[in-house]
Amino acid sequence: MAKVKEQNLITRERLRWVYYFLPILALVIPFIVNEYILWIVNAILVYTLVTLGFNIIIGNLGQLAFANTAFFGIGAYTAAILMVYGNMPYILAIFMSAIVGGIAGFLASVAALRGIRLYYLAIITLAFGELMRWVYLHGDTVTKGSDGLKIPEEIYFLGLSLDSEVPKFFVFLLLTVLVVKVTSNLMRSKIGRAIVSIRENEATTASLGIHTAKYIILAFVWSGAIVGIAGAMFAVLTERVLPEAFGLTEVIIHFGMVLIGGTGSIVGSVIGAITLTTLPEYFRQFPGMDELFFGIIIVLILLFLPKGLVSLLWRISPAFKERYYRD
Amino acid sequence: MGGGRKVVCQAFTTGYIMEIFLQLTLSGLSQGAIFALIALSLTVVYRATTIVNFGHGDFVMAGAFFVYVLVIYAGLPYLLSSVLAILIMFVMGLGVSRGFIDPIKSGPHIGFAMMSISLGYVLRGGARFLWGREVFPMPRIFDMEPIFIGELVITGDVFFVSLIVAILLSVFFFIFYRTKIGIVIQAVYQSERGATLIGVNVRAFHQSMWGVGLAMGAMAGILIAPISLLHPDLGATFLIRGFAAMTLGGFGSLSGAVVGGLLLGFAEQIFGFYISSTLQDITAYLIILAVLIIRPAGLFGRTITVRV
Repeated sequence: MAKVKEQNLITRERLRWVYYFLPILALVIPFIVNEYILWIVNAILVYTLVTLGFNIIIGNLGQLAFANTAFFGIGAYTAAILMVYGNMPYILAIFMSAIVGGIAGFLASVAALRGIRLYYLAIITLAFGELMRWVYLHGDTVTKGSDGLKIPEEIYFLGLSLDSEVPKFFVFLLLTVLVVKVTSNLMRSKIGRAIVSIRENEATTASLGIHTAKYIILAFVWSGAIVGIAGAMFAVLTERVLPEAFGLTEVIIHFGMVLIGGTGSIVGSVIGAITLTTLPEYFRQFPGMDELFFGIIIVLILLFLPKGLVSLLWRISPAFKERYYRD
Repeated sequence: MGGGRKVVCQAFTTGYIMEIFLQLTLSGLSQGAIFALIALSLTVVYRATTIVNFGHGDFVMAGAFFVYVLVIYAGLPYLLSSVLAILIMFVMGLGVSRGFIDPIKSGPHIGFAMMSISLGYVLRGGARFLWGREVFPMPRIFDMEPIFIGELVITGDVFFVSLIVAILLSVFFFIFYRTKIGIVIQAVYQSERGATLIGVNVRAFHQSMWGVGLAMGAMAGILIAPISLLHPDLGATFLIRGFAAMTLGGFGSLSGAVVGGLLLGFAEQIFGFYISSTLQDITAYLIILAVLIIRPAGLFGRTITVRV
């Protein structure tokens, strides 16, 4: 009897309030930590969106597309180029990054729609990402090549000067919360359920009269737009956009974040971003340790927790499961 | 195969256009031979298990590192070390299949992709942890005076790499098409269920194909390391070229992997010389994009696209 009562303690309704309360609780972070830790927190916010966008394709749509660094880089360069050469306000630059990222997502979806799936999709999207990196490296006149494109010193977000980590934190938190909330709603809507249904069985989904191509395009475009926004945030976070930040190793780290957190779960995306942004900071001083750690932790997750760290929460209470997610 | 380049420039000044082309072809094919070997080793695993080993580049690197350790630290002769390293990689392949792939067999393909990447990361991280960020000169065994045929120059590296890969490929295709083991392998490739019915142990087959794949990858690593020097990131550049070769030749086709590898090596030299040297790095990516968009089945492959 006691056990049943314990399960009732965590309900979806109560959890919803917890989820709403968490960002408000996060507002105190800048007042209790130093600049360095706040920088890591900001990076976590950026990577939350990166993982969220990647998770829609890998987890919800179930496609092995590795174009995430391409979206990320395109977003970052779009924002940086518009701010440097076009003198565009940051908020508009973010908007443009989302649009250009969405267009890149559409291009990636064309490959999937042409019937290139599984490993072929993985390989063609990897090639797409590496080609983009080559473009950043050799588009010297605009992207400044391997020196990186430095963004302007003075950036304002609706009048708020982003000159230190604290204002960046508030802006990033706002953007992240907004995007996570919209994505969460989208994934619980008809669109999100159609996307998960395509993952489970594409032919059956089509036979139910659902236009699969439309939802595949939607998933890719939405993923590209989110990761594009993350790119625009990343440009401001690092203050200099470098081609190396969008290489093969990066896409693998993004993939790791998705898997460690939990595929197809929004809470999992947040957990994955937190885990893989903070832990490697400890291993920075030893060469190779970060790679060794990354490899081992993912092997362990795959062997013993294939649903990711978020499945530990499911053991506490099934209320943590997102409703559209079925095993 | 950096030596070929200098010679090419000399020939250019004397204006032998045909010789330049032949020289480029020669160095392209010898590089392509390595790509072919890597693509073939990926294909062997892919055909048997339908898993693409995304960490293969690091296994290639690990094979070369084992030779280095055995030669420098244990003082063994080079040839013996190579054989031992190939055996170690074969056993590692069995272990990878048994310990890491089998337990997640029922899961989605995303798991296999990440598992192979992570195992590669463990190897690469391990190598970097033990040897740091330095670059190691591998002992050279192919030191030979260049051969001159007219204006053509064949360096020791080009000669030995091409020769050894040619021998390895002949042995491989002989085993595959002419021996009893090869016929059993072909049978399992055609139908796993059928092979199980006639008493083939498919699980053991998968393990040994992982072993063969990694052993062949190690051979490529051992051949390339004396030329490109040894460092933990050695494999990464070759992995994507292996993919490009597979895609060009047709995913899953054994002879396609070889032809694709040779063509890729050739195309890299031609693009790099006649168009722009910066293009050499992305020839592989361009080929992947072009092939998958225009003809996804590649040169020799069967249809791979999914239609709903």
